Amino acid sequence: MNDSDTLAAVRDSLTTAKGSLAEVHMNTPADAIAREGRARRRRHTLTSLTGATAAVAGTALAITALAVPGHPASQSGSPARHPDTARLAAWTVAKQANGDITVTVRQLSNPSGLQSTLRADGVPASVTSVASPDLSCRPYPMSQVLFTSVYRAQKGTGAGTTVLTINPSALPSGAGVWLGAAFGRQAEDRGLHRVAVHRTINHTVHQPVHQVAARADNGVLRVGLVSLSQQCTGS
Amino acid sequence: MEREPAEFAEFYQATRDDCLRIVLLNVGDQHLAHDLVAEAYTRAWMSWRKVRDLEVPRAWVVRTALNAHVSWWRRRRREVFLGDHDAAASGDQATLLSGDLLAALRRLPPRQREVVTLRLLLDLDTETTARVLGIAPGTVGAHLHKAVATLRAAILSPDTLEISR
Repeated sequence: MNDSDTLAAVRDSLTTAKGSLAEVHMNTPADAIAREGRARRRRHTLTSLTGATAAVAGTALAITALAVPGHPASQSGSPARHPDTARLAAWTVAKQANGDITVTVRQLSNPSGLQSTLRADGVPASVTSVASPDLSCRPYPMSQVLFTSVYRAQKGTGAGTTVLTINPSALPSGAGVWLGAAFGRQAEDRGLHRVAVHRTINHTVHQPVHQVAARADNGVLRVGLVSLSQQCTGS
Repeated sequence: MEREPAEFAEFYQATRDDCLRIVLLNVGDQHLAHDLVAEAYTRAWMSWRKVRDLEVPRAWVVRTALNAHVSWWRRRRREVFLGDHDAAASGDQATLLSGDLLAALRRLPPRQREVVTLRLLLDLDTETTARVLGIAPGTVGAHLHKAVATLRAAILSPDTLEISR
Protein backbone atom coordinates (compact mmCIF):
# COMPACT_ATOMS: atom_id res chain seq x y z
CA MET A 1 0.00 0.00 0.00
CA ASN A 2 1.62 3.29 -1.07
CA ASP A 3 1.21 6.69 0.60
CA SER A 4 -1.67 7.69 -1.61
CA ASP A 5 -3.58 4.47 -0.93
CA THR A 6 -2.93 4.78 2.79
CA LEU A 7 -4.17 8.34 2.85
CA ALA A 8 -7.30 7.33 0.94
CA ALA A 9 -7.95 4.42 3.31
CA VAL A 10 -7.65 6.62 6.40
CA ARG A 11 -9.77 9.33 4.80
CA ASP A 12 -12.46 6.76 3.92
CA SER A 13 -12.48 5.37 7.44
CA LEU A 14 -12.81 8.81 9.02
CA THR A 15 -15.49 9.83 6.52
CA THR A 16 -17.42 6.66 7.32
CA ALA A 17 -17.10 7.35 11.04
CA LYS A 18 -18.41 10.89 10.55
CA GLY A 19 -21.21 9.64 8.31
CA SER A 20 -22.37 7.24 11.00
CA LEU A 21 -23.08 10.28 13.20
CA ALA A 22 -25.77 11.53 10.81
CA GLU A 23 -28.32 11.39 13.62
CA VAL A 24 -26.25 13.71 15.80
CA HIS A 25 -27.43 17.29 15.50
CA MET A 26 -26.44 20.56 17.09
CA ASN A 27 -29.77 21.45 18.64
CA THR A 28 -28.88 24.77 20.22
CA PRO A 29 -30.85 27.48 18.37
CA ALA A 30 -28.91 30.32 16.75
CA ASP A 31 -30.84 32.75 18.95
CA ALA A 32 -29.44 31.07 22.04
CA ILE A 33 -25.88 31.48 20.76
CA ALA A 34 -26.54 35.16 20.04
CA ARG A 35 -28.12 35.71 23.47
CA GLU A 36 -25.11 34.15 25.20
CA GLY A 37 -22.78 36.28 23.09
CA ARG A 38 -24.66 39.46 23.99
CA ALA A 39 -24.68 38.52 27.67
CA ARG A 40 -20.93 38.00 27.62
CA ARG A 41 -20.41 41.34 25.93
CA ARG A 42 -22.44 42.99 28.67
CA ARG A 43 -20.44 41.19 31.34
CA HIS A 44 -17.18 42.17 29.69
CA THR A 45 -18.32 45.77 29.55
CA LEU A 46 -19.32 45.77 33.20
CA THR A 47 -16.06 44.14 34.18
CA SER A 48 -13.97 46.68 32.34
CA LEU A 49 -16.00 49.52 33.83
CA THR A 50 -15.57 48.33 37.41
CA GLY A 51 -12.03 47.11 36.99
CA ALA A 52 -13.01 43.86 38.60
CA THR A 53 -11.16 40.69 37.91
CA ALA A 54 -12.65 39.03 34.87
CA ALA A 55 -14.71 36.01 35.59
CA VAL A 56 -13.90 33.31 33.14
CA ALA A 57 -16.97 31.59 31.76
CA GLY A 58 -16.27 27.91 31.68
CA THR A 59 -17.74 25.07 29.71
CA ALA A 60 -18.64 23.19 32.83
CA LEU A 61 -22.33 22.63 33.12
CA ALA A 62 -22.93 23.66 36.70
CA ILE A 63 -24.63 26.95 37.33
CA THR A 64 -24.51 28.89 40.52
CA ALA A 65 -26.23 27.11 43.30
CA LEU A 66 -28.33 29.49 45.31
CA ALA A 67 -27.93 28.54 48.90
CA VAL A 68 -30.92 29.86 50.79
CA PRO A 69 -30.43 30.18 54.51
CA GLY A 70 -33.23 30.44 56.98
CA HIS A 71 -36.33 28.44 57.76
CA PRO A 72 -38.37 26.51 55.23
CA ALA A 73 -41.33 28.46 53.92
CA SER A 74 -44.62 27.44 55.41
CA GLN A 75 -47.01 29.30 53.18
CA SER A 76 -50.26 27.46 52.71
CA GLY A 77 -53.59 27.99 51.09
CA SER A 78 -55.52 26.79 48.10
CA PRO A 79 -54.48 27.74 44.58
CA ALA A 80 -55.99 30.96 43.26
CA ARG A 81 -55.51 31.87 39.62
CA HIS A 82 -55.14 35.44 38.41
CA PRO A 83 -55.22 36.38 34.75
CA ASP A 84 -51.52 35.73 34.28
CA THR A 85 -50.54 34.41 37.64
CA ALA A 86 -51.23 31.21 39.50
CA ARG A 87 -50.60 31.32 43.23
CA LEU A 88 -50.18 27.97 44.89
CA ALA A 89 -49.11 26.76 48.27
CA ALA A 90 -45.45 26.12 47.53
CA TRP A 91 -44.75 28.22 44.49
CA THR A 92 -46.05 30.88 42.16
CA VAL A 93 -46.11 30.60 38.40
CA ALA A 94 -46.37 33.85 36.45
CA LYS A 95 -46.40 34.45 32.73
CA GLN A 96 -44.49 37.57 31.73
CA ALA A 97 -45.33 39.92 28.88
CA ASN A 98 -42.33 38.69 26.90
CA GLY A 99 -43.51 35.09 27.15
CA ASP A 100 -41.10 34.05 29.89
CA ILE A 101 -42.47 31.93 32.71
CA THR A 102 -41.26 32.69 36.22
CA VAL A 103 -41.58 30.06 38.89
CA THR A 104 -41.09 31.41 42.39
CA VAL A 105 -40.25 28.43 44.56
CA ARG A 106 -40.86 28.63 48.29
CA GLN A 107 -41.22 24.96 49.02
CA LEU A 108 -40.41 21.87 46.99
CA SER A 109 -43.79 20.21 47.10
CA ASN A 110 -46.84 19.48 44.96
CA PRO A 111 -44.93 18.58 41.76
CA SER A 112 -48.05 17.43 39.90
CA GLY A 113 -49.68 20.80 40.53
CA LEU A 114 -46.64 22.63 39.21
CA GLN A 115 -46.55 20.36 36.16
CA SER A 116 -50.21 21.04 35.39
CA THR A 117 -49.76 24.77 35.81
CA LEU A 118 -46.74 24.91 33.52
CA ARG A 119 -48.51 22.87 30.87
CA ALA A 120 -51.57 25.13 31.16
CA ASP A 121 -49.25 28.05 30.43
CA GLY A 122 -48.07 26.32 27.29
CA VAL A 123 -44.79 24.88 28.56
CA PRO A 124 -44.33 21.19 27.81
CA ALA A 125 -43.19 20.06 31.23
CA SER A 126 -42.46 17.11 33.42
CA VAL A 127 -42.08 17.72 37.14
CA THR A 128 -41.01 14.95 39.48
CA SER A 129 -40.52 14.64 43.19
CA VAL A 130 -37.24 12.81 42.68
CA ALA A 131 -33.80 13.86 41.46
CA SER A 132 -34.08 12.37 37.96
CA PRO A 133 -36.65 12.49 35.15
CA ASP A 134 -39.49 10.01 35.09
CA LEU A 135 -38.72 6.72 33.32
CA SER A 136 -41.22 7.65 30.62
CA CYS A 137 -39.01 10.60 29.71
CA ARG A 138 -36.02 10.58 27.39
CA PRO A 139 -33.28 13.08 28.26
CA TYR A 140 -32.69 15.72 25.58
CA PRO A 141 -29.05 16.62 24.83
CA MET A 142 -28.32 20.04 26.22
CA SER A 143 -25.33 22.32 25.96
CA GLN A 144 -24.47 24.98 28.50
CA VAL A 145 -25.54 27.69 26.07
CA LEU A 146 -28.90 26.03 25.48
CA PHE A 147 -29.31 25.54 29.19
CA THR A 148 -28.65 29.15 30.06
CA SER A 149 -30.94 30.32 27.29
CA VAL A 150 -33.85 28.28 28.65
CA TYR A 151 -33.28 28.69 32.39
CA ARG A 152 -32.23 31.50 34.68
CA ALA A 153 -32.25 31.24 38.44
CA GLN A 154 -31.88 33.90 41.07
CA LYS A 155 -32.54 34.40 44.73
CA GLY A 156 -36.03 35.68 45.37
CA THR A 157 -36.98 38.62 47.52
CA GLY A 158 -38.63 36.55 50.23
CA ALA A 159 -36.67 34.47 52.71
CA GLY A 160 -36.00 30.98 51.40
CA THR A 161 -37.30 31.86 47.95
CA THR A 162 -35.77 31.12 44.58
CA VAL A 163 -37.02 32.43 41.24
CA LEU A 164 -36.57 30.19 38.22
CA THR A 165 -37.25 31.85 34.87
CA ILE A 166 -38.06 29.63 31.89
CA ASN A 167 -37.82 31.01 28.37
CA PRO A 168 -40.13 28.73 26.34
CA SER A 169 -39.14 30.34 23.04
CA ALA A 170 -35.58 29.07 23.54
CA LEU A 171 -36.74 25.46 23.71
CA PRO A 172 -35.70 23.50 20.64
CA SER A 173 -38.58 21.86 18.80
CA GLY A 174 -38.98 18.44 20.33
CA ALA A 175 -37.80 19.43 23.79
CA GLY A 176 -39.64 20.15 27.01
CA VAL A 177 -38.56 21.17 30.49
CA TRP A 178 -37.95 18.88 33.40
CA LEU A 179 -37.94 19.99 37.01
CA GLY A 180 -37.19 17.63 39.85
CA ALA A 181 -36.90 17.91 43.58
CA ALA A 182 -34.43 16.02 45.67
CA PHE A 183 -34.08 15.72 49.38
CA GLY A 184 -31.72 14.24 51.93
CA ARG A 185 -28.83 12.19 50.58
CA GLN A 186 -29.88 12.71 46.96
CA ALA A 187 -29.63 16.43 47.46
CA GLU A 188 -26.22 16.13 49.07
CA ASP A 189 -24.75 13.98 46.31
CA ARG A 190 -22.34 16.34 44.59
CA GLY A 191 -21.98 13.93 41.70
CA LEU A 192 -25.56 14.73 40.81
CA HIS A 193 -24.71 18.39 40.40
CA ARG A 194 -23.36 17.52 37.00
CA VAL A 195 -24.76 14.20 35.95
CA ALA A 196 -27.67 12.06 36.86
CA VAL A 197 -27.79 8.53 35.62
CA HIS A 198 -31.13 7.80 34.04
CA ARG A 199 -31.54 4.06 33.82
CA THR A 200 -33.81 2.46 31.27
CA ILE A 201 -34.28 -1.18 30.50
CA ASN A 202 -31.47 -1.62 28.02
CA HIS A 203 -29.00 1.12 28.56
CA THR A 204 -27.91 4.00 30.68
CA VAL A 205 -28.21 7.59 29.56
CA HIS A 206 -26.26 10.28 31.29
CA GLN A 207 -28.21 13.50 31.55
CA PRO A 208 -26.65 16.74 32.68
CA VAL A 209 -28.58 17.99 35.63
CA HIS A 210 -28.37 21.44 37.07
CA GLN A 211 -28.96 22.35 40.63
CA VAL A 212 -30.61 25.73 40.70
CA ALA A 213 -31.74 26.08 44.26
CA ALA A 214 -30.77 24.75 47.61
CA ARG A 215 -32.85 25.12 50.70
CA ALA A 216 -32.11 24.89 54.37
CA ASP A 217 -34.18 21.72 54.58
CA ASN A 218 -31.67 19.99 52.27
CA GLY A 219 -34.04 20.01 49.33
CA VAL A 220 -32.80 21.01 45.89
CA LEU A 221 -34.53 21.81 42.64
CA ARG A 222 -32.95 20.34 39.53
CA VAL A 223 -33.77 21.20 35.95
CA GLY A 224 -33.04 19.69 32.57
CA LEU A 225 -34.55 19.06 29.16
CA VAL A 226 -36.51 16.03 28.02
CA SER A 227 -37.82 14.93 24.65
CA LEU A 228 -41.47 15.75 24.00
CA SER A 229 -43.91 12.88 24.37
CA GLN A 230 -47.49 12.50 25.50
CA GLN A 231 -46.42 10.40 28.46
CA CYS A 232 -43.57 12.61 29.56
CA THR A 233 -44.51 16.19 28.83
CA GLY A 234 -48.18 15.89 27.92
CA SER A 235 -47.74 16.83 24.27
CA MET B 1 -24.56 45.96 10.74
CA GLU B 2 -28.14 44.77 10.41
CA ARG B 3 -27.04 42.02 8.06
CA GLU B 4 -24.71 40.51 10.64
CA PRO B 5 -27.21 38.54 12.73
CA ALA B 6 -28.72 37.01 9.61
CA GLU B 7 -25.27 36.23 8.22
CA PHE B 8 -24.23 34.54 11.43
CA ALA B 9 -27.48 32.57 11.66
CA GLU B 10 -27.07 31.40 8.09
CA PHE B 11 -23.48 30.33 8.75
CA TYR B 12 -24.51 28.58 11.95
CA GLN B 13 -27.35 26.67 10.31
CA ALA B 14 -25.16 25.57 7.44
CA THR B 15 -22.16 24.39 9.45
CA ARG B 16 -23.24 23.46 12.98
CA ASP B 17 -24.01 19.75 12.50
CA ASP B 18 -20.81 19.06 10.57
CA CYS B 19 -18.70 20.92 13.13
CA LEU B 20 -20.40 19.06 15.97
CA ARG B 21 -19.73 15.67 14.39
CA ILE B 22 -16.09 16.49 13.74
CA VAL B 23 -15.59 17.67 17.31
CA LEU B 24 -17.46 14.63 18.60
CA LEU B 25 -15.10 12.32 16.72
CA ASN B 26 -12.23 14.14 18.38
CA VAL B 27 -13.54 14.12 21.96
CA GLY B 28 -15.84 11.09 22.06
CA ASP B 29 -18.45 12.58 24.39
CA GLN B 30 -21.67 13.99 22.99
CA HIS B 31 -22.55 16.38 25.81
CA LEU B 32 -19.02 17.69 25.93
CA ALA B 33 -18.94 18.09 22.14
CA HIS B 34 -22.20 20.07 22.30
CA ASP B 35 -20.71 22.36 24.92
CA LEU B 36 -17.45 22.87 23.09
CA VAL B 37 -19.15 23.64 19.78
CA ALA B 38 -21.66 25.97 21.41
CA GLU B 39 -18.75 27.71 23.13
CA ALA B 40 -16.91 28.06 19.82
CA TYR B 41 -19.95 29.48 18.02
CA THR B 42 -20.55 31.90 20.88
CA ARG B 43 -17.00 33.19 20.45
CA ALA B 44 -17.58 33.30 16.69
CA TRP B 45 -20.70 35.41 17.26
CA MET B 46 -18.74 37.79 19.49
CA SER B 47 -15.99 38.16 16.87
CA TRP B 48 -18.18 37.70 13.82
CA ARG B 49 -16.71 40.55 11.80
CA LYS B 50 -13.30 38.93 12.07
CA VAL B 51 -14.46 35.33 11.72
CA ARG B 52 -16.66 35.92 8.67
CA ASP B 53 -13.69 37.32 6.77
CA LEU B 54 -11.55 34.27 7.39
CA GLU B 55 -10.83 31.97 4.51
CA VAL B 56 -12.60 29.03 6.20
CA PRO B 57 -14.76 30.18 9.13
CA ARG B 58 -15.90 26.65 9.97
CA ALA B 59 -12.26 25.62 10.43
CA TRP B 60 -11.96 28.44 12.98
CA VAL B 61 -14.98 27.05 14.83
CA VAL B 62 -13.61 23.51 14.94
CA ARG B 63 -10.15 24.66 16.05
CA THR B 64 -11.67 26.90 18.72
CA ALA B 65 -13.81 24.04 20.01
CA LEU B 66 -10.83 21.69 20.16
CA ASN B 67 -8.69 24.30 21.90
CA ALA B 68 -11.51 24.88 24.38
CA HIS B 69 -11.34 21.15 25.01
CA VAL B 70 -7.71 21.52 26.06
CA SER B 71 -8.72 24.30 28.48
CA TRP B 72 -11.59 22.16 29.75
CA TRP B 73 -9.20 19.33 30.54
CA ARG B 74 -6.82 21.66 32.33
CA ARG B 75 -9.66 22.90 34.52
CA ARG B 76 -11.02 19.42 35.03
CA ARG B 77 -7.76 18.21 36.55
CA ARG B 78 -8.44 20.53 39.47
CA GLU B 79 -11.99 19.29 40.00
CA VAL B 80 -12.80 16.22 41.97
CA PHE B 81 -16.55 15.77 41.90
CA LEU B 82 -17.54 15.51 38.29
CA GLY B 83 -18.52 11.86 38.35
CA ASP B 84 -18.63 10.13 35.00
CA HIS B 85 -19.39 13.05 32.73
CA ASP B 86 -17.12 11.60 30.07
CA ALA B 87 -19.23 8.52 29.62
CA ALA B 88 -22.18 10.27 28.04
CA ALA B 89 -22.42 8.36 24.78
CA SER B 90 -24.28 5.11 24.75
CA GLY B 91 -25.35 2.27 22.50
CA ASP B 92 -24.11 2.19 18.90
CA GLN B 93 -22.50 5.61 19.16
CA ALA B 94 -20.47 4.55 22.16
CA THR B 95 -19.25 1.54 20.22
CA LEU B 96 -18.33 3.70 17.27
CA LEU B 97 -16.73 6.46 19.30
CA SER B 98 -14.60 4.02 21.26
CA GLY B 99 -13.25 2.31 18.13
CA ASP B 100 -9.54 1.85 17.51
CA LEU B 101 -9.35 4.46 14.76
CA LEU B 102 -10.87 7.24 16.82
CA ALA B 103 -8.92 6.23 19.89
CA ALA B 104 -5.78 6.58 17.78
CA LEU B 105 -6.99 9.95 16.46
CA ARG B 106 -7.42 11.24 20.01
CA ARG B 107 -3.93 10.06 20.96
CA LEU B 108 -2.25 11.98 18.16
CA PRO B 109 -0.12 14.99 19.11
CA PRO B 110 -2.29 18.15 18.92
CA ARG B 111 -0.75 19.52 15.72
CA GLN B 112 -1.06 16.20 13.88
CA ARG B 113 -4.66 15.91 15.00
CA GLU B 114 -5.39 19.45 13.77
CA VAL B 115 -3.92 18.62 10.39
CA VAL B 116 -5.94 15.41 10.12
CA THR B 117 -9.09 17.26 11.16
CA LEU B 118 -8.63 20.04 8.61
CA ARG B 119 -7.32 17.91 5.75
CA LEU B 120 -9.42 14.76 6.08
CA LEU B 121 -12.53 15.71 8.06
CA LEU B 122 -13.04 19.27 6.81
CA ASP B 123 -11.60 18.26 3.44
CA LEU B 124 -9.32 21.28 3.02
CA ASP B 125 -6.40 21.07 0.63
CA THR B 126 -2.81 21.27 1.82
CA GLU B 127 -2.31 24.94 0.96
CA THR B 128 -5.50 26.07 2.69
CA THR B 129 -4.69 23.96 5.73
CA ALA B 130 -1.25 25.55 5.85
CA ARG B 131 -2.72 29.06 5.72
CA VAL B 132 -5.33 28.27 8.40
CA LEU B 133 -2.68 26.88 10.73
CA GLY B 134 -0.03 29.44 9.82
CA ILE B 135 2.55 26.84 8.88
CA ALA B 136 4.29 25.83 5.65
CA PRO B 137 2.60 23.41 3.25
CA GLY B 138 5.55 21.07 3.63
CA THR B 139 5.01 20.99 7.38
CA VAL B 140 1.36 20.08 6.81
CA GLY B 141 2.52 17.20 4.63
CA ALA B 142 4.99 16.00 7.24
CA HIS B 143 2.40 16.06 10.04
CA LEU B 144 -0.13 14.32 7.84
CA HIS B 145 2.34 11.62 6.84
CA LYS B 146 3.13 10.80 10.46
CA ALA B 147 -0.51 10.92 11.53
CA VAL B 148 -1.72 8.71 8.72
CA ALA B 149 0.96 6.14 9.49
CA THR B 150 -0.35 5.98 13.05
CA LEU B 151 -4.00 5.86 12.03
CA ARG B 152 -3.37 3.26 9.37
CA ALA B 153 -2.22 0.78 11.99
CA ALA B 154 -5.51 1.31 13.81
CA ILE B 155 -7.70 0.52 10.81
CA LEU B 156 -5.85 -2.54 9.58
CA SER B 157 -7.58 -5.71 10.65
CA PRO B 158 -5.54 -8.91 11.13
CA ASP B 159 -6.47 -10.31 7.73
CA THR B 160 -5.33 -7.18 5.91
CA LEU B 161 -2.03 -6.76 7.67
CA GLU B 162 0.84 -6.68 5.24
CA ILE B 163 3.69 -8.99 6.02
CA SER B 164 7.11 -7.85 5.04
CA ARG B 165 10.19 -9.99 5.30
